[in-house]
Amino acid sequence: MVDFLIGLFLATLITALFTTRLYRLLFWYSLNSLTLGLLALTVGSRIGDTAMLVSGGITIALKALAIPYILKTLSQKFRLSRQTPPTIKTQYSIILVPAILVFTFYLAEPVTHMVQGNANYVAISISSLFLSLLLMIEHRNIAPKIVGFLSMENALFLLGTTATGGMPMLVELGIFFDLLMAIVVVNLLLYREEVES
Amino acid sequence: MTLFFLLLPPLLMFAASFVKTSRTRKLLPLSSFAVLVPVALLFRLPKPYALWGEYLVADDLNTYILLLSSVVGIGVTLALLTLDRHVKVSEKELYRFYRFFGLFWVGLSLSILANHMGIFWIGLEMATLSTVYMIKTNRSPAAHKEAWNYMIVGAIAISLVLFGIILIYAAYKPLLGEKAMLFDALLANSDRIPSPFLFELGFALTAVGIFVKMGFFPMNLWLAHIERAAFYPVAALFSGILESGVMAGFFRFSTIAAAIDHERLFLFVLVYTLLTLFIVSFLIFRAKDFMRLFSLSGVEHMALIALFWVSGGTFAALLHFGAHAFLKPALFLSTGVLESTGRYHFAGALRGYHGTRGKVFWFLAGLFMLAIVSIPPSPMFFSELYGFGAMIEQAKASDHLLAMLGAITLLLVLLSVIFYRFVAIYQSMKYEGAEEGKTVYISEVLALTIFAVGLAALLLPGTMAFLKGIG
Repeated sequence: MVDFLIGLFLATLITALFTTRLYRLLFWYSLNSLTLGLLALTVGSRIGDTAMLVSGGITIALKALAIPYILKTLSQKFRLSRQTPPTIKTQYSIILVPAILVFTFYLAEPVTHMVQGNANYVAISISSLFLSLLLMIEHRNIAPKIVGFLSMENALFLLGTTATGGMPMLVELGIFFDLLMAIVVVNLLLYREEVES
Repeated sequence: MTLFFLLLPPLLMFAASFVKTSRTRKLLPLSSFAVLVPVALLFRLPKPYALWGEYLVADDLNTYILLLSSVVGIGVTLALLTLDRHVKVSEKELYRFYRFFGLFWVGLSLSILANHMGIFWIGLEMATLSTVYMIKTNRSPAAHKEAWNYMIVGAIAISLVLFGIILIYAAYKPLLGEKAMLFDALLANSDRIPSPFLFELGFALTAVGIFVKMGFFPMNLWLAHIERAAFYPVAALFSGILESGVMAGFFRFSTIAAAIDHERLFLFVLVYTLLTLFIVSFLIFRAKDFMRLFSLSGVEHMALIALFWVSGGTFAALLHFGAHAFLKPALFLSTGVLESTGRYHFAGALRGYHGTRGKVFWFLAGLFMLAIVSIPPSPMFFSELYGFGAMIEQAKASDHLLAMLGAITLLLVLLSVIFYRFVAIYQSMKYEGAEEGKTVYISEVLALTIFAVGLAALLLPGTMAFLKGIG
């Protein structure tokens, strides 16, 4: 089940890389967060970690539902461009994505004997970090860049859930708090842009 | 209790910035003075002193950094008083600046005092996000673009740091459990670490995140552009306080990494800083305005501090750190006056000052300008002597003596390029160009005097002994 969810996580992220429309992108991001939340719930119930169950629940509520909805509202309010064509051509991305995956699996190879769980999880987390960076690089518009930043947060969360068996609750809450603050700052920045133009 | 008093002034500042009367305007700088009291108290307490369980612990190192930052904070708030006389800024924006300065200070105090990797990160992220707004107080399109830029690149850098932190946590968790987040526990158990590779992977990611945030290779120009677009107090905050907080994190992480594999850490930082200095020295050579010049020189000094620290020259690194924390904000704050006749005018920037205030200003600004390139008796002169001494000791102990000596020589050549450029600019400021009248306000002179006194205090034997004791 865990493997299946991690696979879905990676698949949704890769699909998001090739999307050219903003709402689709938000949809894939939401699915990405949903798989992440389910993953945390599964792992949490298996190892009996209440903190992880709570943070899985918060992930689903916040990242899979609230943030995509807020971003969609914001994009309507500030009339952001809904066409978001990537600047890196699809044929090059198709080469880049597997290259990143292969590289990160190579990078994580020595870890295989060291992590309690599956070393592939570390590799997948690092590769989703790089893929989110790619998502930020390949777009000129601001909205996909924000989504890229949020997916990066997801990659971090995935690493925290799978490689360490749960971060301390304090850290998890702090990360959520900062995420909310980031959204507020984004909102204010967009708002000022509107006022000035 | 001490923690409460540490966080009270910035929170008060945050709250007071919503009340827009002429009296609050005078009150706001005062609140930054109030930070100094708990910090001074902290100095007298026995170390390590637990401020909040194991999460926030004050030791000599972070008390020193906090003291430096609070002095810089006072200088910056003083200079903010006359910001609207030098640049166009509305009253509302000025209050907003104070508001976010309060938040920034809370985040930064948490991150400097943290003994917990998670809290260090949360504080840093809070400080980063609040600076986005301070950049935005300048209502120009360039500042708007750079605020977004800062938001995105800063977020990437910070995320890399967190990613590294999680990997480090994963490396230690089988051994320490939940305690694997505490810096002192990590250091104490560094010889029993179950998976050094995982730790080193985490450390590399954290270090790269920290380096990106400080403008190291390959992101040399992003801070310079941001500081150019924002108002000058923002640049002073960046170089004096934010980078100090980030550097404090680097000190902590690299101490653990040194305990695990010192040689590899040293090589990693040496290569990184050499690349950085190579590019930065030529960028400085080409710099055409004060902001970019000072910003790039900040990158140079941060690289040197990191290098001295990992070479084992703890004292040199801390002295350099202190000197930079005072000198750079002082220079950034003086750009408000220096650039009052135009952004790209080096020539004649130190001429045309009248009255006592003007004379004190040009004397101090000129002094700082020369002190930043380590002309004695600047504290930087001594710190570089000790730092390069430590590097040569390191070279003698290593297996690659010639390569190391070559690297040190290259470093000195690059530093001499920077030295030459700064002296040339100083001469052009003083002896070339037309004499145009400039206005200096008392608060600026006061801020510069505070920094000058701070610099002189660094040279006192007592301070030196204290810094030597930290290492």
